[in-house]
Amino acid sequence: MLKAMLKDETENSKRQVSRRQMLKAGGISVAAGALASALPAAAEVRYAGDLAILNVALGLEHQAVAAYDAGAKSKLLSADQLKIAVSFQTDHKRHRDTLTRYIKRFGGTPVAPKTSYDFGTITSATDIVKLAQSLEAGAEGAYLTNAGKLENREILDAAVPILEDEVRHNTVFEQLLGMNVTERLKY
Amino acid sequence: MKTETNLNDRKDWPKKDWASQGTARRDWIRLAGTASAGALFYLLTGNPKRLYAQSLQGDLGILTAALYLENEAIAAYQAGAESKLLTPGVLAVAVAFQGDHKYHRDGLSGVLKSLGVTPSGPEKKYDFGPLHNEQDILRLARNLEHGAMQAYATLASNIQTKPVLNFAANVLVDEVRHFTVLNSVLSGKNY
Repeated sequence: MLKAMLKDETENSKRQVSRRQMLKAGGISVAAGALASALPAAAEVRYAGDLAILNVALGLEHQAVAAYDAGAKSKLLSADQLKIAVSFQTDHKRHRDTLTRYIKRFGGTPVAPKTSYDFGTITSATDIVKLAQSLEAGAEGAYLTNAGKLENREILDAAVPILEDEVRHNTVFEQLLGMNVTERLKY
Repeated sequence: MKTETNLNDRKDWPKKDWASQGTARRDWIRLAGTASAGALFYLLTGNPKRLYAQSLQGDLGILTAALYLENEAIAAYQAGAESKLLTPGVLAVAVAFQGDHKYHRDGLSGVLKSLGVTPSGPEKKYDFGPLHNEQDILRLARNLEHGAMQAYATLASNIQTKPVLNFAANVLVDEVRHFTVLNSVLSGKNY
């Protein structure tokens, strides 16, 4: 499989595949591409493709921060669960700040959080844990899918520890929900 | 009772410097450094085709070092399984995680072969220190997973070819998952 991928990469290099075509490779990247076109064509914007990916990621971080807020405010969590939620929310705030810094540094405009989020009906601690797990799994997938598409090495360096955090968060919640944590993703 | 790290807090993760843990890991740093040679060539000549060739050369060192860690992890889980010290639940986890490391090993070996390099096999013998009980084995596994995690995270930045980077990112996800689960088992909590 990897051999075939390596061959593909060579072919891609030969064909000089455009950034736009590369971005079409994944669902989230399609959204990222749309964002990229929406960015002003100011000359000072660098790594526009990377910034589009970062802005999609930033949107997920805003959503996660809001979700943990909703969880904490619900008063449904046990002391242990609340401790986890606060700790993980702190991670997401750090991710948010890191992403914002890089987007600004390369001339982009960071997306703002939405004024409100619809997290569905939350009536129990399990509802909150399920919500958190699905958001963390989504974030894990987003960083994993897009890591290889980042062109700037510094941005990639910043994204890798964030991916690690998302996997850790997701795994913790999978365990809390009694999900299978010994199954490898398909790759 | 020994206090285990709190996996919920990144700052409590083991700080052990994997770079100082042995020759193999020190070699890794050296090898990883060579990966930038391809980028330098590109800057000097502006030739992306040569960059690709040079990058693969740099990646070879990284892949070889990663393969060493995978073989080490496979051997550690084997030692754990053969010790008869693991309870059935933990044994099942160990077998599953060893399976992941075999998958990583095979993936890395496949890439190396496709590049015309014969992948190295495992060492004849590994010194994992005394393994007297399940906790010893879990701690050994946890530390190896943490080392691998840090190594893949560090090296993701040095890998030059995108398919190899994608593979490394997926492996990193496995290592973090393993580390988190082992930490949970060691802490005696369900998270």
